[in-house]
Amino acid sequence: MKVFKKMGWFFKREWRSYSVGVIMLVLVALMELIPPQVIGWVIDRITQETLTGNLLMQYILLLVAVAVLTYIFRYFWRIMIFGASYRLGRILRSRLYRKYSQMSPAFYQKRRTGDLMAHATNDIQAVQATAGAGILTIADSLITGGAVLVTMAVTISPKLTLLAMIPLPFMVILTSYYGKLLNRGFKKAQAAFSMLNDKTQESISGIKVTKTFGYERSDQADFRRMSDDVVEKNLKVSKVDALFDPTIMTVIGASYFIAIFYGAQMVLSDTISIGELVTFTTYLGMMVWPLLALGWFFNLVQRGSASYDRIQEIMDTENQVGVDYKIEGQPEGDIIFDLGAFNFPDDESDGLRDVRFAIKKGTTVGIVGRTGSGKSALIRLLLREFDTVNPEDIKYGKHPLRDYEISNLRRQFGYVPQDHFLFSTSIRNNIAFSNPGMDEAEIYHAAKLSHVHEDIKGFTDGYDTVVGERGVSVSGGQKQRISIARALIMDPEVLILDDSLSAVDAETEEQILANLQDSRAGKTNIITAHRMSAVSHADLIIVMDNGTIIEHGDHHALMAKGGWYHDTYNAQALRDALESTLDDLVLKEER
Amino acid sequence: MENNQFNLSFNDQKTVLLRLMKYTLPFKGILAVGFIMLIISTIAGVATPYLVKIFIDEYLTPGVFPESEIMWLVIAFIAVQLIGAITTYMQIYLFQYLAFKVIQQLRIDAFDKIGRLGMRYFDKVPGGSVVSRITNDTEAIVEMFIGVLATVLMAIFMVISSFIMMFVLDVRLALLALVFMPIIVVVLAVYRKYSANFFSHARQLLSDLNAKLAESIEGMKIIQVFNQEDRLSQEFNEINEMHYKYNMKNVRLDGLLLRPAISMISVLAIALILGYFGLLSFESTVTAGVIFAFIQYMERFFEPLSQVSQNLNIFQQALVSASRVFALMDDDRLEPAQSEDAACRVTDGHIEFRNVTFSYDGRTDVLKDISFTARPGETVALVGHTGSGKSSIINLFMRFYEFSKGDILVDGHSIKRIPKQELKEKVGLVLQDPFIFYGTIESNIRLYHPEMTFEQVKAAAEFVYADKFISKLPGEYEHRVIEKGSAFSSGERQLLAFARTMAIDPKVLILDEATANIDSETEEQIQRSLERMRKGRTTLAIAHRLSTIQDADQILVLNKGEIVEQGTHDSLIRYGGIYHKMYQLQNGQQ
Repeated sequence: MKVFKKMGWFFKREWRSYSVGVIMLVLVALMELIPPQVIGWVIDRITQETLTGNLLMQYILLLVAVAVLTYIFRYFWRIMIFGASYRLGRILRSRLYRKYSQMSPAFYQKRRTGDLMAHATNDIQAVQATAGAGILTIADSLITGGAVLVTMAVTISPKLTLLAMIPLPFMVILTSYYGKLLNRGFKKAQAAFSMLNDKTQESISGIKVTKTFGYERSDQADFRRMSDDVVEKNLKVSKVDALFDPTIMTVIGASYFIAIFYGAQMVLSDTISIGELVTFTTYLGMMVWPLLALGWFFNLVQRGSASYDRIQEIMDTENQVGVDYKIEGQPEGDIIFDLGAFNFPDDESDGLRDVRFAIKKGTTVGIVGRTGSGKSALIRLLLREFDTVNPEDIKYGKHPLRDYEISNLRRQFGYVPQDHFLFSTSIRNNIAFSNPGMDEAEIYHAAKLSHVHEDIKGFTDGYDTVVGERGVSVSGGQKQRISIARALIMDPEVLILDDSLSAVDAETEEQILANLQDSRAGKTNIITAHRMSAVSHADLIIVMDNGTIIEHGDHHALMAKGGWYHDTYNAQALRDALESTLDDLVLKEER
Repeated sequence: MENNQFNLSFNDQKTVLLRLMKYTLPFKGILAVGFIMLIISTIAGVATPYLVKIFIDEYLTPGVFPESEIMWLVIAFIAVQLIGAITTYMQIYLFQYLAFKVIQQLRIDAFDKIGRLGMRYFDKVPGGSVVSRITNDTEAIVEMFIGVLATVLMAIFMVISSFIMMFVLDVRLALLALVFMPIIVVVLAVYRKYSANFFSHARQLLSDLNAKLAESIEGMKIIQVFNQEDRLSQEFNEINEMHYKYNMKNVRLDGLLLRPAISMISVLAIALILGYFGLLSFESTVTAGVIFAFIQYMERFFEPLSQVSQNLNIFQQALVSASRVFALMDDDRLEPAQSEDAACRVTDGHIEFRNVTFSYDGRTDVLKDISFTARPGETVALVGHTGSGKSSIINLFMRFYEFSKGDILVDGHSIKRIPKQELKEKVGLVLQDPFIFYGTIESNIRLYHPEMTFEQVKAAAEFVYADKFISKLPGEYEHRVIEKGSAFSSGERQLLAFARTMAIDPKVLILDEATANIDSETEEQIQRSLERMRKGRTTLAIAHRLSTIQDADQILVLNKGEIVEQGTHDSLIRYGGIYHKMYQLQNGQQ
């Protein structure tokens, strides 16, 4: 029940819909009381032979009026109550989306996409059901159930009512007991199904191994065994599920029996008429749904409450990165790292220590080092995916990074991630992601700078090619260059290439870098890379190892130093040289 | 995102339904019993009001209660109730049993099909969608069997039986009641027309909504860095709004034409019954019991209608799901067919490629007229750039794909004639990135080989020097593999794959060397075990590191689907061609 209190804000907001809806439900309940009475009257008049044409006409008109009014009332309570519940779903979905888009990567590291999706789908569905069907069931059981019960007792006989009601609680008790069994069995069936799902998944991922060893038959036998389990678990559920209808039928049968048995005696002793007995049994039939609804109500509320709590838990999660800011304007100037120590939350290994250097405005800075040396960690801190312990650790211009409003800060950066994530929309929209209003010329220009224009033109649908659609394959290298264009089109103050040239060949890399130098005069570039050639032209090269700087300087200084950069550069240069002679040779062979 | 289709044409629906119904044929017996139970329970259902009618008219109204007759009536009432309850239970359970059994068969058939599909299929169709065909789509069909077919059957029986009883009670009124039929049919037809449309729209929008959400969660980092939260949030809200609108349309439609409409008609029907009997009572006698029973039957008549018409949406969805499952089962991208000849056995491991030409797509040849021979026990190394065709040679030899021209001979027999089982037993392939299955180390080496002893598993691991790292694991061979073996280094995974292959002791060994970086300690073990594995076995090896194949009997250098150089390490170095350059390149690197 607490869930209704928690959802109070919503009921307050939708009080009109719910009030009108509940009033309609009350009216429907009252209307529904009439036909059984009319049936009784007509029967009595017929048996007593007091029915007149006029009277019959009145009865029929009354029924027609009841039919039409009930129709109208029913229509409106549906619109009111179900409409409100759909609005709740809409609000929650929208809020959840908003919340997700505010959360920093730390949030996404802790939670799996599947769970986050489940909150937006199953949980919202359950809460929505509580606000719709939940309200309906409780209102229906209390209003209809109560009205019918009172009417039976008042207009016919309290004693008969009491007697006929005796079996009904058994129905509630039994069905809710079945419900519990069903839940338990259903969970087991779900688990068996998900095992089968995993099995299928694995069989398909490992299809090559299976085919290699020729184990298709055994794999199929395994699947068969697991599908047997699914059937068995589901049949256990069916055994319980099939009990509902017969139980309800039997209990109602018993109730009818009592009503007619004692009712007949009352008819004989002239306490009630035959018409009243028929009215009574008709009412009895109307008690079934309200009683069953009561059981559903508790079930719905239980699920809705758990779901609501899960959604609320997400909504209450605080962002790891602070959103308070001190400075209104755009950041400007040099970026200064003066980092003593930093560890990622929940991770002791990937730390940074003593990273101190300055990225002067308008220069290009290269960051190199082995995988896991801390290159990307620096970028992540710069993008404020995480905050440093000490605000002064990273400054942009005169102020700490976190003093700026986060969107103002981000506006300065054009970022190209390692994993070249593209959205499943056209290439055009992907490039113009930062501003869908960009014109064709700007999009082409950015694509030319990142050396992907010709590739895109080569696709059948050109810039309208949808990424990720079946049958269209955009290669990794092309995706990478599209995501470079996506950043370049912003003409950002600071361009960050986070190992973003890994999937392009040496020649293309060279051209892209040359384009950058031309087009980005006076702007800052930060490039992390595995290939030294990607940073050799940089004004400053930082070599990271184990979370700290081991070498820094420009290309010449580092080559003169003869350290890690020197060795790696030479090894890679030799390799590139040999590879190009090899390519020449292959070409020659072909001719 | 995969393209979801939400509607089928009427003819397609019919075909799919018929095919689905064929799956019930093996369960004829259960189906028959279920039907009988359904009939009995329906009869029991209509008998109750009739018994009450008899009681009211024969005994209550005249006020006579002969004890034994009343006793019989009570017994009949109780018996009808009990029989009704039992047969209802049986009938519900049997239909559900049938549904699960049918779906199981469907699942098994679909899964078996997976085993027969060729790699061509898996190259094109994403794994996730295949899984969803076999599990989720079939699950939707279960819903249909339980939620729709059983309800529809029950509804039909209930409507028909109620109608029969109305005829028994009063033919004229029953005929009069027939006027409601066209009204109901029209109302429900209009409902169906719009509802199918709204329902599939709402469903499509929900699926869009979820797709958008899933993509946003995945690309959240990019969205944030590019400051596009507001724009995407707005886009999301637009779909959200549309979804709400369609839901409301559904609510309105349900409200106008479904339950409220049906219940209005049923009240009008009561008016009709009372009016009829009222008028009738002016000229002849009308009994209370008949009115009572007639009203009861009329209600039974209306009750199932609205439920059934609502469930029809589920039914249509299930048919779409079923059509997707059947499309998988009908896919003709099968694995290459074998014309098996039991006499063709692999004895020595003599391999010959004779003018083999192959294309993945039927247009560009990735292998052009390839010929070479590997004598028993020899090692043939394949080198070349990505796309040169070396993997294709292995893919053809493993029969993952069918070649278009030429032939591959093993011990003089065409590879197409050697029994599949024989081929799989005698040829061992080690994949570049071996797939590690859910289970233990032991089960990953053994795979599906129940007759293999633990000693054999251990021996295989020791043979490839995998025992070293296995012995360090908690539980050793019983160690449970998590997350597809991601806790192991790629070198360790490679050793496991070696052991897996050695456990079947093949005559011919196919190696696809891993390109991934392997730590030097494991690397050494890998080299040692490779040497050991190759001994006495004809080996085809794709080599990325030329140092590992210097002692190969033959090295084939491939370029664009052709063999451009062929010879031993020494002869190729002397030749001074591509191989020589490649060798220099790799040595320069070290």
